[in-house]
Amino acid sequence: MFAELINPYYLQVASFMLINIILGISVYITLSTGQLSLANAGFMGIGAYTSALLTIHFDLPIILGIICGALLAAICGILIGIPTLRLQGVYLAIVTLGFGEVIRVVFVNWESLTNGSVGISGIPHIGREMLKSFQGFGFNPSAIGLQNNQFIFLSIFLLLLAITVFIIWFFRRQHFSRVGRAFAAIKLDEKAAESMGINITYYKVLAFAQGALVAGFAGAMYAHILAYISPADFAYHRAVEILIFVVFGGSEVIWGPVFGAFFLTLMPEVLRFISEYRYMIYGLIIIIMMAVRPQGLIDINLLNWFKNKRETRRQKHGAGNQKDM
Amino acid sequence: MKGLFKKLVGFTALSSLLVLSACGGTGEQAGSDSEGGNGEVVKADVGVVSFITGSGAAYGEAITGGLKLAQEEINAKGEVEINLIFEDSAGKQDQALTAAQKLINSDNVTAIIGPTLSTEMNVVGPEADLSGVPIIGTSTTAEGIPQIGDYVFRNSIPEALAIPASMEKAVEKYDAKKVALMYGNDDVFTKSGFDTMKKTAEEMGLEILTIETFQKGQSDYNAQLTKIKNYNPDLILASALYNEGAVIMDQARKMGIDVPFVGGNGFNSPEVIKIAGDSSNGLIVATPWYGEKDDPKVQEFVKKFEDEHGKTPDQFAAQAYDALYILANALKNAGEADRDKVRAALAETKDFEGILGNFSFDEEGDVLMDPTVLVIEDGAFKVFE
Amino acid sequence: MLIEQLINGLTLGSIYAIVALGFTLVFGVLGIINMAHGEIFMFGAFIGVMITSTLNAPLWVAFAGAIIITAIMGYMLERFALRPLRHKQGVSHLAPLISTIGVSILLENLSHHLFGAGNHPFRASFAEISFQIGSITVYLVQIVIFVISIVLMITLSFWLGKTKAGKALRATAENLETASLLGVDTKRTITMTVIIASAMGGIAGILVGMAFNSVTPQMGLSMGLKGLAIIILGGMGSVRGAMAGGLILGLAETFIVVYGDSGYRDAIAFLAIIIILLIRPQGLFGQKIST
Repeated sequence: MFAELINPYYLQVASFMLINIILGISVYITLSTGQLSLANAGFMGIGAYTSALLTIHFDLPIILGIICGALLAAICGILIGIPTLRLQGVYLAIVTLGFGEVIRVVFVNWESLTNGSVGISGIPHIGREMLKSFQGFGFNPSAIGLQNNQFIFLSIFLLLLAITVFIIWFFRRQHFSRVGRAFAAIKLDEKAAESMGINITYYKVLAFAQGALVAGFAGAMYAHILAYISPADFAYHRAVEILIFVVFGGSEVIWGPVFGAFFLTLMPEVLRFISEYRYMIYGLIIIIMMAVRPQGLIDINLLNWFKNKRETRRQKHGAGNQKDM
Repeated sequence: MKGLFKKLVGFTALSSLLVLSACGGTGEQAGSDSEGGNGEVVKADVGVVSFITGSGAAYGEAITGGLKLAQEEINAKGEVEINLIFEDSAGKQDQALTAAQKLINSDNVTAIIGPTLSTEMNVVGPEADLSGVPIIGTSTTAEGIPQIGDYVFRNSIPEALAIPASMEKAVEKYDAKKVALMYGNDDVFTKSGFDTMKKTAEEMGLEILTIETFQKGQSDYNAQLTKIKNYNPDLILASALYNEGAVIMDQARKMGIDVPFVGGNGFNSPEVIKIAGDSSNGLIVATPWYGEKDDPKVQEFVKKFEDEHGKTPDQFAAQAYDALYILANALKNAGEADRDKVRAALAETKDFEGILGNFSFDEEGDVLMDPTVLVIEDGAFKVFE
Repeated sequence: MLIEQLINGLTLGSIYAIVALGFTLVFGVLGIINMAHGEIFMFGAFIGVMITSTLNAPLWVAFAGAIIITAIMGYMLERFALRPLRHKQGVSHLAPLISTIGVSILLENLSHHLFGAGNHPFRASFAEISFQIGSITVYLVQIVIFVISIVLMITLSFWLGKTKAGKALRATAENLETASLLGVDTKRTITMTVIIASAMGGIAGILVGMAFNSVTPQMGLSMGLKGLAIIILGGMGSVRGAMAGGLILGLAETFIVVYGDSGYRDAIAFLAIIIILLIRPQGLFGQKIST
């Protein structure tokens, strides 16, 4: 009964959804200081390649590989973040766009390391490794009535879910902390923030590095779930796709990118017939959102309204919402 | 404002309902709906993962066209009844994987045809193999695809077979000693074709004058070609997809480079002639598919395809067409739509006579057949002697 | 070979320059980077292909058709993607950038549906005319492209500097509200700017089609990103900068093939962006950064 309910296909979609949510959050963090980063696809690539190469060539445990990947992405984030500090708004967006493309070109051309556009296959699969180690402890998925591949995808999903929940929790906490207030002040008015004694350099680079760290982490997870990566995965289109999650869902509160990634990953799966027009719809969504609701679907007002209404609507809506996540 | 919020709430509720209903659907998948009575019509659901939207949509179009044609004919014969379920991968690994997951677990298909690109197969192949679903690649030509597992097959002729065949013939005929290489370095297909070309050229003792690359979306190849022209090669080995390859030949001829080109798998398409016109003369490719062949089966396929799609079928359409026939044959031999039995029957495919010619799988599920080497002369593909 | 490569580089550079002129015009007046410019350029090329190959019409009709259609697209872009953002409260300065990214995605995928994913040859007898100078073949198209780009640059400089409409445009660029107080119809000026820039994209599209005999839906993105790099290199909003930047990038891309590794050809543009913004953010010809 339980086993029949677990369809690897839905778990797969849900896992990609969670990765997209993490990616969406990575753009949201940088954007919360008013900086738009289009390099997050590149950071994702750095995380993915680092972790893949380390686990393949040095037999590093996957966990260590992922941590190294995320850290290297963060270091690159700092390296690109510091010199671009004096650039603002549109200029920063373009430099990050250029940086993302340069990373992709390096992946394509550094053949001895990255295997060029052929990509890296045979990356240790996180679910299969987990199954192996569980079996090493004498645990067999059939003991709880699961087939091997059900167990694999269930474990990936649960792992990602736990991580996503942690990330959301962390950044929500940060949002209401000193750091979060500094971010908001910088976004509102940089000069005013500086005159109030906020160390702009520190906070802007911090936001940039955090975004890169989270994106690099998502990339490393992506590599170990697909078990295959190639430079094309981290191109301009990926950067735009991540941006759309935030634009659609909302960039004011963390629930914005979460909802955006959730909805836009689900939409083409549920409505398969529109998948042919998916990118046209993405384009339209951006244009319409910018014209009608530039802050995204979910903003602070909406959240407050929800809070007020929660008491009366708890049975109906709250329950439904829980299931969503 | 209130109205908008109401709508939003309704919307969220609706989407959560959708999720719930989607999850609810899972329970039904255990019961197989694809059982056919023994000895009677074998009914089977076959999933197709294809590059239907995006930059490679032309391939998806050819492949689905070939498959649909084969499906009509096979079902009309009445021995096997195949129901095709098409899923789009948009050329992306993650989407190809979810599409395959859906086919394997939700649609409970007996076998999968596709995906289009070797990169996608690198991701989908292990998954299908693990789930015990036979999968046939019809356009995946990179090395190591059938070696992924027992359930992974292909009927597309691998580069390791096609490229040396065409190179040997061309070198012999033109007595070539010096070659220039050109390839798209940001595409898996052209990159792995180039690797084979380079290896073959080294093995044949050819002198490699220069290696030039180009990237997707580029339309100006003059700089690379001028450089190549200066080296004065006997042959140009170009690993390009036909879209770019045709333009490269056009610009080369305009510049006064008149040596023959040897192309990889992706270069082989009637579209080359359409795009480059007379400039395409002198392109040598090895192909499993020759549309001019004096075989009623081939001519019938070409005619039907042209009637339906308004253009001559290329190798992608032909390979997809044959793949479904090979699968139908295996289904018939297996007697029922059982994944393991179909796999066993597929592996035994031997001397199958399709529109591509005589076809067998080797022990690994790779292709055993002789490619035909073609050359474009006077604006048409002819057999290269 | 050097002279041939020089010609190749100049041809490519001239095309880049025309694309960049469209970018720089919109940025100069509106302060907006129009990410959809590359896609409008691509549509111009496709219109040219359709008119010459499907309708068998002469070349000037193709030019006229492409200019008209891309001008209309420019109007739509301004009307639906840019104007709604203008006098809105609390809209971040990133909004127009994101909005035009949306337009570019929409147009790229629309062209897949309209024209198919394949490559369309550009058949024009004009593109076949060539001269033989020594061992070098020069095509008339190459010369025409170079001339058109120079003419466009000079006309644009003259128009901006000397005519009344051009002055209105510069006044609008300086300060929208003041210009409007001084009696400039800013709405019309802005719309005009976007239309002219788009039409220039259309012209560039046809020229590329003729010069390289290749038109695909993917060419918009790569050309758009190159154009972006050029205006940063030359200085945002500077007409001369766009021209110089275009030629520099065209020559650089050609000569990295000659002396270096053609694999890094695409990276030059982006490396140039990064380096120039870090060293001289205003670009080679720019005066100051206005954000």
